[in-house]
Amino acid sequence: MRAFDYARPSTLVEAFELLSAPDGGVKALAGGTDLLVGLRNGAIRPRAVVDLKHIRELAPVIRADKECMSIGANAVLAQLTASEGLRRDYPALVESAAVVGSVQIRHRATLAGNLCNASPAADTVPALLAYGADVVIRGPSGERRVSVDNFVLGPRETVLTAGEIVTTIVLPTPKPGTGAAFARLTRRRGVDLAILSVCCLVDPEGEVRFGLGAVGPRPFLVRDSAAAVVSSTAAEQFAALVAKASPITDVRASHDYRQAMITVLARRTLAAAIERSSWVSP
Amino acid sequence: MNAGSVGTGVPRVGGRERVNGSQQFLADIRLEDMLHVKLVTLDVACARIDSIDTSIAVHLPGVACIVTPADLPQPMPRFGPVYRDRPFLADGATTYHGEPVCAVVAESRDMAEAAAEAVLVGYTEVPGVFTIDAALAQDAPLVQSPSLRPDDPLARSNVLRERRYEWGAIDETDTTVVDHVYSFPMVTHFAIEPHGAIAHADDDGLTIWSPVQHPYLLQRTISDLFEQPLARVRVLAPDPGGAFGGKQNPKFEPLLTWIALKTGRPCRLILTLEETFQAVRRTSCSIHVRSGFRANGELVFHDVESDFLVGAYADIAERVVAKANYLACGPYRTPNARIVARAIFSNTTPSCAFRGFGTPQVAWAIESQMDAASRLLQLDGLEIRRANLARFGEDVVPGDVPADGEWQQSLDRAAEMIGWGRPPLEGRGRGIAVAIKAGATTGLSQATVRLLFDGSVIVYAGTSDMGQGARTIFAQIAADEFGVTVNDVSVVSGDTAIVPFDLQTSASRSTVFMGNAILAACEDVHRQLRSLAAEITGLEAADVEIKGGQVHVKGEQHSIATVLERGLGRLRGELVGNGTVRRADDPDHPLGGAPAFYEFNCTAFEVSVDGETGEVLIHRHVTVGDVGRALNPLQVTMQDEGAAIMGLGHSLMEQLLLDDRGRIRNLGALDYRIPTTKDMPLELESEVIENGDGPGPRGSKGVSEGAILCTAPALAAAVADATGVVIRDLPLTPERVWSALKAGVAR
Ligand SMILES: Cc1cc2nc3c(=O)[nH]c(=O)nc-3n(C[C@H](O)[C@H](O)[C@H](O)COP(=O)(O)OP(=O)(O)OC[C@H]3O[C@@H](n4cnc5c(N)ncnc54)[C@H](O)[C@@H]3O)c2cc1C
Repeated sequence: MRAFDYARPSTLVEAFELLSAPDGGVKALAGGTDLLVGLRNGAIRPRAVVDLKHIRELAPVIRADKECMSIGANAVLAQLTASEGLRRDYPALVESAAVVGSVQIRHRATLAGNLCNASPAADTVPALLAYGADVVIRGPSGERRVSVDNFVLGPRETVLTAGEIVTTIVLPTPKPGTGAAFARLTRRRGVDLAILSVCCLVDPEGEVRFGLGAVGPRPFLVRDSAAAVVSSTAAEQFAALVAKASPITDVRASHDYRQAMITVLARRTLAAAIERSSWVSP
Repeated sequence: MNAGSVGTGVPRVGGRERVNGSQQFLADIRLEDMLHVKLVTLDVACARIDSIDTSIAVHLPGVACIVTPADLPQPMPRFGPVYRDRPFLADGATTYHGEPVCAVVAESRDMAEAAAEAVLVGYTEVPGVFTIDAALAQDAPLVQSPSLRPDDPLARSNVLRERRYEWGAIDETDTTVVDHVYSFPMVTHFAIEPHGAIAHADDDGLTIWSPVQHPYLLQRTISDLFEQPLARVRVLAPDPGGAFGGKQNPKFEPLLTWIALKTGRPCRLILTLEETFQAVRRTSCSIHVRSGFRANGELVFHDVESDFLVGAYADIAERVVAKANYLACGPYRTPNARIVARAIFSNTTPSCAFRGFGTPQVAWAIESQMDAASRLLQLDGLEIRRANLARFGEDVVPGDVPADGEWQQSLDRAAEMIGWGRPPLEGRGRGIAVAIKAGATTGLSQATVRLLFDGSVIVYAGTSDMGQGARTIFAQIAADEFGVTVNDVSVVSGDTAIVPFDLQTSASRSTVFMGNAILAACEDVHRQLRSLAAEITGLEAADVEIKGGQVHVKGEQHSIATVLERGLGRLRGELVGNGTVRRADDPDHPLGGAPAFYEFNCTAFEVSVDGETGEVLIHRHVTVGDVGRALNPLQVTMQDEGAAIMGLGHSLMEQLLLDDRGRIRNLGALDYRIPTTKDMPLELESEVIENGDGPGPRGSKGVSEGAILCTAPALAAAVADATGVVIRDLPLTPERVWSALKAGVAR
C-alpha cells in the first residue's frame, strides 16, 4: 500500500478545507470497507485520507422526524438493521442493509459510504431509490439536497464536487399501508457482491416502484403508476424493467443470466411487497 | 486408558494457539536486519521480455538491490521435484500470468513495493495456450522449449507425458454404452496463510524458513542448487497455515537463498493472496469416458481419455495425472479398462498437488458415468454401486493391491444416513457416490523418541503439522506406549537440523508412515527398558514385558518412571530410540510402487433446486470414510468435514476464470468464491467405519482427503434427481444450473 497523509478533523468546516485541496488527491474515509480495498489494490492512490468519523456534526444517529427518517452519514449498517423505526417503516431498506458483507462489515460500513462509493451493485441503493430518499450534501459553498436517483451518475461517479460531504440521507415516511421488499442474487450465500438486486415498493393505491441494482452502470428506478404490474404477474409485465436495464457480462454472471433474473426477482419482490401492503386488487 | 489415549478425541495440540492468534506463522517471524523482497510481475500471461530498466527504482528510498535475470548465473538455474524446469525468475519470457520477472529487495515491504512499481519492463506480448484445445492444436506455440526435455519424443508438443493403463479387452457386445465428456475447473488452494519464505546465509550455512510440507525436499533442493552439504542447509518449517498440497515443493526459496547470499542479510518474501493465486492451483481437466454395462448394471468396461491441463512448469502435476488416472475406474470390479491420460502444458499457473491429488477430477467423470448408466438401466445410484463395488480382497486394478476395506459398509451406512429408499419430499433429490484414492506408494519416515528420566517423552517427527493434527496423533501414540498422558509428551518438528528425515507430508500418509516409525522408535526404547528392568531385577530381558505403558516383570507391575529412576540412577540420563519406516520403490509397478492403502469415501446429498434461479440448496450432506481406526475421532471428523466443505467449493462455486489472453480475471478474495459458513449444508454429518484393517498404528488408514473425492458427482446426481437435468461441467453455479434447466438437457 502506498503511504498517504491521514487527517481526522472534528468539524465539517475543517473537513471541507481538507477535502477541497486543489490537487484532488484527497479521499473521504467513513467505514473504509470500500476505500481500503481500493487503497490496497492500488485502484485509488490518494495523497491524503480524511477520516469523517470524528466530525461532531456527523453523529452516527438515525432520527425520526416529522414526515421523514434521517440517517446520519456516520451511521453504520448494523445500526440500520437494529433500528425499530426502520424495521417497521422501511423493511426493504433493512433487508438490503442486512445482506451487505458480513456482521463485521456491517458494524463498520456506513449507509452513506455504500451510496457515495457509487458501485452499480451497491445493495442499499435500490431500496433508497424505491423509498424516494434524498441526500443532504454540505460543502464549502453551503448545503444542497438531491434525490438518490440524481445523486449517482455512473460507476464510481456521483454529483459530489471537491470538498463536498454527504451529511444525511433522508427517507420520506411511506404512506400507511405501503409494502416493500428487497431481494438479491449472489454466487454464494455468505459475503458476496450482488449479481443483481431488486427492491419493490407498492403503495396503498397500487403504485409500484422498482429499484434495480447491478444491471446497469448505476442503480436505477422504474415506476409504474398505472398499477399494471400489480394486476398481473405475467412475465411480460416486467418488460419495462428489462428494457431499462443494460446488464453486462462479468466474473459474477453473464448478461443473459442477469437479464433473465430481473423478471424472477421482480416477480418475487412484487409478491412480497403486495403481501406487506394494504393494497388489494380491484 | 490414560487421558489422551489413542481412540479419544483430545483437542488438537496447537489448536488453541491457532485460534487465539499466538501461533507464530512464517509472517510473524522477524529477524534482525531483515530485507524484504517484492517480485515484479506483468499484467500479461505470455510476453517476451525486451528490457528491464531498474535505473529509477534502484535509487528509491530503502532499496538494497534489484535482482534481474542478468544477475543470476547463466544458464538460469532451474529446479523441480521431478522435472528441473522451473527457473529462479522468468527466463527471457514470462510463460504464465504473474510469473516473476525480477525481484526488488528493500528495507521494508512498502519500500520494496514502491520500487517494484518503478521498475520499467519492456515486453512484447506473444501468443500463448490457455486451454486444452489450444495447447493441442496443430501449430500451437510451445509452452516449454524442447531443449528442456532433450530426449523426449514429445518435447515438440505441449504434451508433457502420456500414460496408458490397460487391462482386459474392450468389447461392446451386449452392453449398454454411455459416452460423455466431463470438465473440471481450475481452482486454487486458498490456504488462509499466503505463501512465503525467509532465507539467510551466514558462517553456519544456509537457513531457510518456509511453511513447506516437505522440509527435507527443500533442504535437498537448496543443497543441490547451491552445492552445499545437507548438513549446512537448515530448513525451519513453521506450521503452515493451511497448505492442501500447495506448499509441497519449493517455489521461491531458491531465489531467496540466492538473494540472501548476495546481500548477506536475511531476506523475506511474503506473497499477497493474489500472488498466491498466481503461484499454485489444482489441475483442471476434460475427461471423455465411454463405458459399457450389462442390463443388470454390471460394469463391463471403461474407456477413458483423460486430458489434464497442467501449468507452465511441471511441478508435481504429472504425478497427479499418473496416480489419479491409474485408479480412474474407482473402487469397483472393472474387468476391462483402457485409460489414456495426458498431462498437457499450458501458459497458466503451474498446477501442483491439491487435496485429493487428481482423484476428485477422475471421480467426477467416472461416478457421473455410473449415474448416467443407472438412469439408462432404470437402476438407482445405490443399486448400481452395490452391484459393482469391490468386496474386500477383490481386485480394483487387476494384479495390484486388492480392496483393503469392507467398502460396502460405508456405502450402506451413507445410504442409510441420507434416507435412501424413502421417498424424498417434493422437489428434493438425492445422490450418492464413492471414490478411492491411492495412499502413498513409496515413503520413508524416521522418528526419534527420547524417554526422559521422569518418564516424560519427546518425539522428533518431521511431519509438517498444517492443520491435520499430526502432532496430536503422534503425542497420543507415544503417550500410550509409555503410560503417560498427552501432556507428558512433546512433539518436535519443523527443523531439519534436529529432527530426523521424513520424505513428505502428503497423501494422507503421516499417521500411517510416521505413526509406525514412532511406534518403532518406542519399541526401540522398550527394548532398552527391558534390559534396564532385567538389570535391576537380575532377571533376563526376556522375562520383562512392556504392556499398556507398564513394565511387567514376572507377574509384578512397575511404572516406567520407577524403572527409569532405579535403572538410570543418580547420574540420570535417558533412553533414546529410533524408528524407520521404509516403503521402497518398485520399479516394475506403473506408479513406482503399490499404494500402501486406499482411502475410501462415500458421500451422499439431499438437495433442492430453485427452478427459476438455479440456486442449489443442500438439505443434507453425509460422508462416511473407511478409516481403519479413528485414532482421534475428533480430528477424523474435523478432517472429514473440512474435506467435505472444500469439496463443495469446486462443486458449487470455485473456478479461476481466465480472459482470452490467459490473465486471471478473478484474482483475489472478492471474486474467487469459496464456501463460507452461510454456504454450509443445512445438515452435514460425518461418520467412520472402523474395522482395524489399515497398515497404520492400530489398523488405521489415512483419512484427510476422503470426503473431497466424490463430493461433486454425488451433488450433481442429487441435482439431476431433483430436476431431471444432468450437468457435466463444474462448478454447478446458479447460472450454470439455470442454463441447463433452460436448455432442458436430456438425461
Ligand atoms: C468483505 C466485503 C464485503 C462487502 N459486501 C458488500 C455487499 O454485500 N453489498 C454492498 O453493497 N457492498 C459491499 N461491500 C462494500 C462496502 O462494505 C459498502 O459499500 C459500505 O457500505 C461502504 O461504506 P464505508 O463506510 O465503509 O465507506 P468507505 O469505504 O469509507 O467509503 C466509500 C466511498 O464513499 C466515500 N464516502 C464515504 N462517506 C462519505 C460521505 N459522508 N460523504 C462523501 N463521500 C463519502 C469515500 O470517499 C469512498 O469513496 C463489501 C465490502 C467488503 C470489504
